Amino acid sequence: MDFSTMLSTMASGMLKTFGIFALTLIGSLPLGMLVALLRKSRFAPVRALIGAYIAVIRGTPLMLQLLVWYFGPFYLLGWSIRGWRFPALILGFIVNYAAYFAEIYRGGIESIPVGQYEAAEVLGYRKGQAFIRIILPQVIKRIMPSVTNEVITLVKDTSLAFTLAYQEVFSLAKQISASQTSFTPFIIAGVFYFIANYAVAFAMQRIEKALNYYK
Amino acid sequence: MIIEMNHISKTFGTLEVLKDISFGVDSGEVVSVIGPSGSGKSTLLRCATFLEKISGGEILYMGERAAHTDESGKVNYVRFQELTRFRSYCGLVFQQFNLFPHYSVLKNLVDAPIHVQHRSKDEAEETAMELLRKMGIEDKANAYPYQLSGGQQQRVAIARALTMKPAILFFDEPTSALDPELTGEVLKVIRQLAEEKMTMVVVTHEMPFAKAVSNRVIFMAKGVIVEQGSPAAVFDDPKEERTKQFLRVFER
Ligand SMILES: Nc1ncnc2c1ncn2[C@@H]1O[C@H](COP(=O)(O)OP(=O)(O)OP(=O)(O)O)[C@@H](O)[C@H]1O
Ligand SMILES: [Mg+2]
Repeated sequence: MDFSTMLSTMASGMLKTFGIFALTLIGSLPLGMLVALLRKSRFAPVRALIGAYIAVIRGTPLMLQLLVWYFGPFYLLGWSIRGWRFPALILGFIVNYAAYFAEIYRGGIESIPVGQYEAAEVLGYRKGQAFIRIILPQVIKRIMPSVTNEVITLVKDTSLAFTLAYQEVFSLAKQISASQTSFTPFIIAGVFYFIANYAVAFAMQRIEKALNYYK
Repeated sequence: MIIEMNHISKTFGTLEVLKDISFGVDSGEVVSVIGPSGSGKSTLLRCATFLEKISGGEILYMGERAAHTDESGKVNYVRFQELTRFRSYCGLVFQQFNLFPHYSVLKNLVDAPIHVQHRSKDEAEETAMELLRKMGIEDKANAYPYQLSGGQQQRVAIARALTMKPAILFFDEPTSALDPELTGEVLKVIRQLAEEKMTMVVVTHEMPFAKAVSNRVIFMAKGVIVEQGSPAAVFDDPKEERTKQFLRVFER
């Protein structure tokens, strides 16, 4: 197999890697906010449940979580898992990353001075309105560095999809390397991850800059 | 009466911060509240502006009850919708300004009028610019709070409270976070509002200012109103020993 065939074979894997990456962000960024807000719920059982969820997610390897999502329905409920590979993968990633984002959001929300809430309250903003208009924009600015870290970790974590034999870049690289007894696929994968992270860092930096119009 | 607070009590856990406080403010009146640290001045303003719930007593705005205590001793506030209306009667200027850092000066002033009071953008901006002119900072309309001095920030905060067109404006030590050379510009603005007959309650440690600007001075200590009266009466001829003691500290 020559280099260009290798590259084009792996391109399909890159697309799949990007798919995992994008779907995970689209799902976990908003879900994380919901989790962060539920963690501050008035109802103690809700708070406890969310606390347990975050503890479990942070306390176990993502690789194991992916296996549980994939095989759980079969072993626990006896369901057929045909066609379940990709949904299980995405669910596993979203649920995992939502927990981490929730913690970041929570830290950000708690760092906003209470005076901001009070000023909004005195001016008559409803709670939700104050959160959306006054608190959230400031939270977003403050958490950008942590979010950037997490997104870069995600780029690399997508390779864990190999546990479910999903054919993204990393799985393909291993496969092609073995079948062709070549080291090149690993180099292609490495360069791909590096460029992807470079792009992510660049994009996040642009966003951070755009938010720098105030202090 | 713009506001009337009757037999207000407020406790935090077992700590009694306000004890049976009664006072009212007439339209056009400027009331100064003085007293030692921890006497409950801020808490009183926070109860009046609904940031804090009273533990007993009643609050009336324009003769209408916003909160009262029933026979069983339970405090009842009006429903949320109505409370919003009562909130619109009062404004509060904080010691720490609490401007919204992500909004420009102008946006700080027009956001609530537009999104809370549903006034038109044009009208809100016109009102805001007029207030900024009055505060002497119309050239800062497009600046962000971090670009302003403390004195300018506090004047923006005062303007922001005024754009809501409150019937009464409360100030909680508006100059305490400012360098001495910047307090003057803020006090000047408040003095100007007093001349325009804006109804105000000002918690302050600036005794000369309280003396010059207010119609009435209230001296608080340990959660009660110890003494009140005209500035001349309270400052030059205090009746209570506690007041004399407090004022002596400021004479130097
Ligand atoms: N949220 C709260 N929880 C518990 N105690 C409080 C709370 N807010 C105020 N207190 C207490 O109530 C008392 C009165 O506080 P307050 O801030 O009203 O005093 P103050 O007269 O404004 O003092 P200062 O001149 O220092 O601003 C203090 O003992 C304070 O510790
Ligand atoms: Mg105070």
